[in-house]
Amino acid sequence: MTDTPLSTAPLLLILPLIGFAFTAAFGRRLGKRAHIVPLVAIAAVWVLAMGLAIPALLGDPALGGEGSSLTLFTWIASGDLIFNVGIHVDGLTGALLLVVTSVGALVHLYSVGYMSHDGSYWRFFAYLNLFMFSMLLLVLADNLLVVFAAWELVGLSSYLLIGFWYTKREPGLASKKAFITNRVGDVGFALGLMGLVAVFGSLDIHTILAGIEAGALTGPAATVIALLVFCGAVGKSAQFPLHVWLPDAMEGPTPVSALIHAATMVNAGVYLVARMSPLFAASHEAMLIVAAIGIFTAIFAASIAFTQTDIKRVLAFSTLSQLGYMFAALGVGAWIPAIFHLITHGFFKGLLFLGSGSVIHAVDGEQEMPKMGGLERKIPITYATMLIGTIAIAGLPPLAGFWSKDEILGEAFKFGFGWVWLVGLLVAGMTAFYMFRLIGMTFWGESRVNPAVHVHESPWTMTLPLVALAVPTIVAGFLLGFPFADGILVHGLEPVFAPANELLGHEHEAWTLFGIDGLLMLASVTIAAIGTAIGIRLFSSDHTQLLSSITTRLRPLYEGSRSRWYFDDLNDLVFVQAGGRVARALWWFDRRVVDGAVNGVGTIASSSGRGLRQIQTGRVQNYALGIAVGLIAMVIVYLMVAA
Amino acid sequence: MSMIAGHLEPYLVLSSLLFSIGAFGFLARRNAISMLMSIEVMLNAVNLAALAFGAFMPTLAGQGVAFALLIIAVAAAEATVGLAIVIAIYRNRKTPLVDEYDAMRQ
Repeated sequence: MTDTPLSTAPLLLILPLIGFAFTAAFGRRLGKRAHIVPLVAIAAVWVLAMGLAIPALLGDPALGGEGSSLTLFTWIASGDLIFNVGIHVDGLTGALLLVVTSVGALVHLYSVGYMSHDGSYWRFFAYLNLFMFSMLLLVLADNLLVVFAAWELVGLSSYLLIGFWYTKREPGLASKKAFITNRVGDVGFALGLMGLVAVFGSLDIHTILAGIEAGALTGPAATVIALLVFCGAVGKSAQFPLHVWLPDAMEGPTPVSALIHAATMVNAGVYLVARMSPLFAASHEAMLIVAAIGIFTAIFAASIAFTQTDIKRVLAFSTLSQLGYMFAALGVGAWIPAIFHLITHGFFKGLLFLGSGSVIHAVDGEQEMPKMGGLERKIPITYATMLIGTIAIAGLPPLAGFWSKDEILGEAFKFGFGWVWLVGLLVAGMTAFYMFRLIGMTFWGESRVNPAVHVHESPWTMTLPLVALAVPTIVAGFLLGFPFADGILVHGLEPVFAPANELLGHEHEAWTLFGIDGLLMLASVTIAAIGTAIGIRLFSSDHTQLLSSITTRLRPLYEGSRSRWYFDDLNDLVFVQAGGRVARALWWFDRRVVDGAVNGVGTIASSSGRGLRQIQTGRVQNYALGIAVGLIAMVIVYLMVAA
Repeated sequence: MSMIAGHLEPYLVLSSLLFSIGAFGFLARRNAISMLMSIEVMLNAVNLAALAFGAFMPTLAGQGVAFALLIIAVAAAEATVGLAIVIAIYRNRKTPLVDEYDAMRQ
């Protein structure tokens, strides 16, 4: 085991698990020192993960290419059906490790400051380590059954952390909403896994992918299985129509929003589709649906982000929108740009969420942007880093978001998905607009903060992660994506997606600045700049009159966007009201008809018994008379028959 | 097998008569002891019939006697157990009248 490059990989799972177990067992007694063990565990995980991720992305012969596997043990052996627990590291795993452990480690550090006043300090760190274990298991596992288990474990951690302040009503409801909505998608995922077992007799990812490459799964069966697996991804990555849980999940502590609901767990769906890319590539229809749902979610969520006033909700809808972008990219077969965007988005959205947490911390727990404003000078580090994150997400060069977003749009266009490109372009402009609206309402203009609040910059444990995340937000795009179509990421990921590209017939093309690529880039930058300009124009200072005249003129649109296009109301109507009525009808049927039949049988037996009891007098002579009469009757019958 | 003079029928008539008396006594008397005695009368009526058949029917010779001996043995055992039960009940309920033994009814 020592000579494989993965000899340290099991530690990635063991360390957070130890951190979780230790903190869960002894954390309460450690009080304010509860963070030490989890923090050290995650720091060690980060170092180890970098040791794997960087060679994997750079195409190290031992880790790049086909990747490297390590079987740990056999989990279930039932006849021919064998499930092994193993670790697989290739370029895709490396990309995920990079985001998960980097943001994870910084969020742990940030939480030391952010959660310092919380009574359940230790519980928070125990949950965070549990989450890190689950997420790393999800990314490292080489068997879909293990992936599924990890999938449920991240769901559990997410549930526990959204409902961290469970004594309040909203977090409790939000955690249930997240858990139940995810179950809906997971049913599809589980059915998809059963389908894969039926076809391949195994859930080992490489067996399945090799089978698909050999053409063992095609036609409608491939479409059905791919879409069932995609159901799970839709739930976990909060795509339309299962997106409703993510905005509510912002009831959890902000570090959780940054780590789980922006940078890592919600990417699990994207990772799953990317990991199973040949499965999707085998079905044209499945790809089309992935692209359609992705791009629809992108524009749908962006339109809602326009009017939300809670700073974290704006970011939540922005996350939905950006995840939609990634799915759109996967759907058109732009695998590498999708993962590229996953990485850059993980960094800049993690940064933006942690920044919003710092803002909320500064204004004493206020989350409504109309009660902020003018914070620019008072919390300069937060402002500067959030501005960097905003420029990155807006897609302005040369920050990270530009590189990945531009690649998604470019490939969508080149693969012949003009509609995805067009909507994506529009969303890019919308993103720039609503993000500068957020910055404007929070930091610019007159202060609308409650004068009683003493606005203060956060402690170093909180600002250091912001600065640390600002660095990849600036350089990650350039480092990973330059030169265009030939960068580090392309080399690291190309072997992973080669089978899928072969199925789709995509060829690696050279990038041309003075050709179609240059034009496409110009288009996306122009749109982003226009969105930015409008955002700055409207929110740089107080243009209240201009704004209110716009909202009055577009009242139905404004109200619709504010109410999230009434989707929660629709869910309430369909599932809570109508569903409740159906359930009540079924309950009535169960009570009256099913229970009635059972009780009826009992009643018949007992009442007939009660009736027959009358003839049981308990007197010997009555019985004897019965015997005598019966005997005489038998004799008479005998004589008559004999005669 | 020694032959007895006369006919089979009078024996059977006597036997039927005795059995009817026993049956009537069993159904009509309320006293447990009387009921046991009635059972004895019925059993002996059957014995008489069996012996009469054995004596008059050559094909049943010997079997009637064997049957009667068996019934006498059963009757002895029945009388013993029956009396023991009656005494036990009497000690509990302080009455020999069977229509007051109604514990099974509740």
